Amino acid sequence: MDLENEKIGPAYNAPDSYFKESESRLLQRLGIDINSPEAAAPKIEAIKPVEVLMKVDTSGIQKRARKQDPLTSKSVGVDKDVDSVGKVEIAPLTFTTNENPEWVNFSAISEETTGLSGSLNITKVTYGDLLNPVAESIQIESVESEIAKIETIEEVVLETEVSEPQEEFVVESIIEDESKTPESIIIHEVPESVGLDELESYIAPINAQKAPMVEEIIVEEEPQTINLDAPPTAFAPIAGRQKESATPGWLGIAASLAAIVAAYFIWNAIQPPKAEEAMATELQQDEPTLIESPLDEPISPKDTIPDGLQLVEPLLTGEMPKYKEPNVYTIIDAKEMPPRTKRALEDLEDNGLATFDMEDEMFEELDFESL
Amino acid sequence: MSVDKANAKNMSESQRLQNLSEDELSVELVSSDITAFLFVEISRRYQQQIYYHCRNLLLSHDDADDAAQNTFIKVWQNANQFKGESRLRTWVYRIATNESINLIRKRKPTIDFDEAQPEMADMITEDLYLSGDDIALKLQKALCYLPFKQKLVFTLRYFEDLSYSEIAVLTSTSEGALKASYHHAVKKLEIYLSVLR
Repeated sequence: MDLENEKIGPAYNAPDSYFKESESRLLQRLGIDINSPEAAAPKIEAIKPVEVLMKVDTSGIQKRARKQDPLTSKSVGVDKDVDSVGKVEIAPLTFTTNENPEWVNFSAISEETTGLSGSLNITKVTYGDLLNPVAESIQIESVESEIAKIETIEEVVLETEVSEPQEEFVVESIIEDESKTPESIIIHEVPESVGLDELESYIAPINAQKAPMVEEIIVEEEPQTINLDAPPTAFAPIAGRQKESATPGWLGIAASLAAIVAAYFIWNAIQPPKAEEAMATELQQDEPTLIESPLDEPISPKDTIPDGLQLVEPLLTGEMPKYKEPNVYTIIDAKEMPPRTKRALEDLEDNGLATFDMEDEMFEELDFESL
Repeated sequence: MSVDKANAKNMSESQRLQNLSEDELSVELVSSDITAFLFVEISRRYQQQIYYHCRNLLLSHDDADDAAQNTFIKVWQNANQFKGESRLRTWVYRIATNESINLIRKRKPTIDFDEAQPEMADMITEDLYLSGDDIALKLQKALCYLPFKQKLVFTLRYFEDLSYSEIAVLTSTSEGALKASYHHAVKKLEIYLSVLR
């Protein structure tokens, strides 16, 4: 067959409907409306693909962002638009309990409230204080005593021993007067062993005479000032301790030993094999080729083959491996062969299972150079 | 009235572009930014050629359709990069060839373009829009036994009637190497066609 002279047409023939549909699909993907008045406008940036038009608006996230200094606990707003105008200071966060109601960061309380240019009195009341509130309560006052706002926060922690394992909190805020006394906080600590009945018996008189009792505690107790410069301590639990881990200590030691042993085996497993040269060097060191022997000892022929010649032993003793005849097959009608058969024969040859001798030499006249 | 005027203006613009030759269309694209009308004219002019070119390289209708669509999307996005140093058709064909190669690599990342892909011959008769011509189908199957570069040169020269100079620009190869490659491809295909029955 002469391809140059006998022109063969294309094997594919798509209908016009496909091309019209393809064109409309293309214009739709690019967002082009050929009937719009802007179709003749040369501004290509005005019409962009759909993927480009989908843009994520992150401005809301930026405006809500706040940056908090971990040392001073002061918050500074992060907003690119506003920052371009100037530095914006946001008032510090007001004191509140942590999101986890079991913990209160005492160092954070003092830092936060000092940002208000006022002072804070923290009164910590233990369960013993609850039974004898005047004698055992602790009052804490800072240096500055004049503040325009009075806020009294009482936290009473109730832990039920019967059915609910979680602690129950009662937090009440009472704002009495905005011009009299400094800010006061009374924290009641209740150990786990205290029952619900005992706590209820205590809460009743507190609810009845809450304000006078708070004032009494503040007045009669010797104040203890919190040092604001002291390094922040860990979160102190208000109610109860976290249960200790039930895992015995020896288990950790055993696990460590097991990890060491496993690492040793893994390390040995991933070591690369020794190079041939290194092995040859080792063999030479182990088995020197020159055997030192006393000169006066007579040298006599031996029947056995010396060490180190094991590789050539079969040659010396005449034990040769059996020669295997290659599987050579002669194929005369290679041109007549169907393509699948030809491919199968090529696979056999590639895998070394057989060798085919093509009599017609159909491929030898071609040069298989690529571009 | 204003809408009618705009429609009439659009019609006249579309008609004007249809009457332009390929060289004039190239000048139009180089001298000014592409418009929707100019893009539609380019796509209509080369859509079928590009589809068949991609189909010859990829064999599958779906793959050829994807490659052709991506080709014209890139024409639209990169129209300002066409400098007019080659023919507009050559530029579009080059984009289409690159898209086809990218699609082949995506389908088969370990492909060796210096090796033939005879296993692809079986999928030709199972796809859409076949002409039904037996000898044409045999030629397509025989093309699967060529390395990709020879197949590309043969396709562009034999089916698309591109000149050696155009193919040289398209493939960044010398014309002499292209002629030798085309000659080898023709010889191999003639043998394959005589074997394939």
